Amino acid sequence: MAVKALYEYDHPSRSRQELYGDDELVHVWWENNPMFCAAACFRVPTAIGWREFIEQMVNPWAASDPDFQPGSPTDWTLDGQPWQPDEARSLADLGIGHKSVVSFRAPTTI
Amino acid sequence: MAKKLPLKQRYAALTRDVHWDPSYVAAEKVFPHTTFEGIKIHDWSKWEDPFRLTVDAYHKYQAEKDKRLYAVLDGFAQSQGHLTLSDGRYLNAMKLFLQGVTPLEYASHRLFADLSRNFNGPGPRFAALCQSIDELRHTQTEIHTLSNYNKYYPGFHNWREMHDRVWYLSVPKSFFDDALAAGPFESLIAISFSFEYLLTNLLFVPFMSAASFNGDMPSMTFGFSAQSDESRHMTLGLESIKFLLEQDEGNVPIIQDWIDKWFWRGYRVTALVAAMLDYMLPRKVMSWKEAFELYFEEQMLNGLFPDLAYYGIRPPRHVEQAIAEKDLVSHQVYWTLYQFGFAAAFTTTVPEPSEMEWLAQQYPDSFDKHYRPLWNKAKRIQDGGDRFFFQGLPELCQVCQIPMTFTEPGDPTRIAQRASVFDGERYNLCSDGCQWIFDREPEKYRQAWLPVHQIYQGNCGGPSVPEVLEWYGITDGDNGEYLGSVEHRHWQQWHAQQAEQTAPMGS
Repeated sequence: MAVKALYEYDHPSRSRQELYGDDELVHVWWENNPMFCAAACFRVPTAIGWREFIEQMVNPWAASDPDFQPGSPTDWTLDGQPWQPDEARSLADLGIGHKSVVSFRAPTTI
Repeated sequence: MAKKLPLKQRYAALTRDVHWDPSYVAAEKVFPHTTFEGIKIHDWSKWEDPFRLTVDAYHKYQAEKDKRLYAVLDGFAQSQGHLTLSDGRYLNAMKLFLQGVTPLEYASHRLFADLSRNFNGPGPRFAALCQSIDELRHTQTEIHTLSNYNKYYPGFHNWREMHDRVWYLSVPKSFFDDALAAGPFESLIAISFSFEYLLTNLLFVPFMSAASFNGDMPSMTFGFSAQSDESRHMTLGLESIKFLLEQDEGNVPIIQDWIDKWFWRGYRVTALVAAMLDYMLPRKVMSWKEAFELYFEEQMLNGLFPDLAYYGIRPPRHVEQAIAEKDLVSHQVYWTLYQFGFAAAFTTTVPEPSEMEWLAQQYPDSFDKHYRPLWNKAKRIQDGGDRFFFQGLPELCQVCQIPMTFTEPGDPTRIAQRASVFDGERYNLCSDGCQWIFDREPEKYRQAWLPVHQIYQGNCGGPSVPEVLEWYGITDGDNGEYLGSVEHRHWQQWHAQQAEQTAPMGS
């Protein structure tokens, strides 16, 4: 159903990928850890390698929980589908799109 | 001299008789907004005025209430009333009110002024005009009432700009902007019915009872003063919906759709009230769950909706999910505010042991199992000299704009993730309710100003947290942990001084 309006109602998305240049937004969700109230949102270059993304951005965020062990994440999913990241490839190569959700499980103690 | 008219005729003369039908310009040119939404009105005169007040009576009545309010404000200020509050922490509830609710009163003033211009029936035009004046008065009295605390405590100084900029305030702001951007009948159903009738008691009564329980006489008096207006607004909400439903059968499905949308939009906004009620009050009033059961399930679902069934209206879509969430939502939202407290214009802290006991009693099915362990861990981190904060920015819901914290129906351990693709772009949504709203009008919600996305586009002062906080107008002491904060230290210092200055008997 379209918006009912007095004129043609067509405005661009305020979060569209082109507004981020060569970057995109990626959400990372630590699925089994309720300490994090929500998934995190990162702005990252689509050309960044998976390993760099994890080391430079995901690990420092996950370390908000003092029980986080770098290297412990497993059971990855991409947009809800089971998925295996390849460390050497870029986010674009891995099919991680703008505003995608990547999830993992990792040990912690509550 | 002319004979004095009976009240009803006098009212009609002073309101409806000021309306005229345009003769040299087509009516649809003067009132272009009342047809495009598909609502059909056959006879505006069937509108029963819900409150028969004339302007002179209105002024007299409100002036008396204002006089009482200002007397209480003066007395409270002169007697250092802020020192008799239950605790310094209480003020966080009022900061949230001033930042989140007061600007909505102003937005509501604008909305009803717009409606009083755009409706082509004199009854609703005059009712909307009265409500518009009410809302402006609420804005002013709330600002004035809470300004007293600005002399002593942080977090009260930049609420207007914060409302436009700060992440959690985009939740109420976007809700009202959504209504303001709709056609006149949808805005009327959104605000007068879905918000003022269905949900106002859930929003307003908890704040005002909180004030009364925690020694905040000025806010309580303001609440009493506004409450008599709120009941008129509720009556207007009910009259609006009945009038529209009776005018044309074709209106029924359109209105049902709006009720479905606006119930869920409004319900999501009340999540902030839920967090306030269960966690921000040093002296508890009632739990969110209890308030929800009383003001929504009992009064609305069991009281109002059976009457509306006569018109073919059923309870709002997704209401069963709201009911199922009543054990969870306040905990989830306050936990979110706690870990993003570095970017909030109020302070948060781990609940005291006695508060945890109260929460466990109020929420026997959820608190000990799911939330107490989180607070215990936060406490351990704090005892170790640190403070648990989410070191980053969260995923936001495209519709309600709350961080995506809500869980799957039936599974409180798993965050709900929904996504819709529109015009090749992915949008993330927190719940079936928000997804349904998005899918109905994706062209509208793709324009949402989402705080996290805007920060990353560089539109909020800069890429670092200090730059964003500066752009928000959050200064040191407004945010973060309550223990050891500016307001906590002030509170302790002033009470210690008071104790020193008081000579106990027998000393």
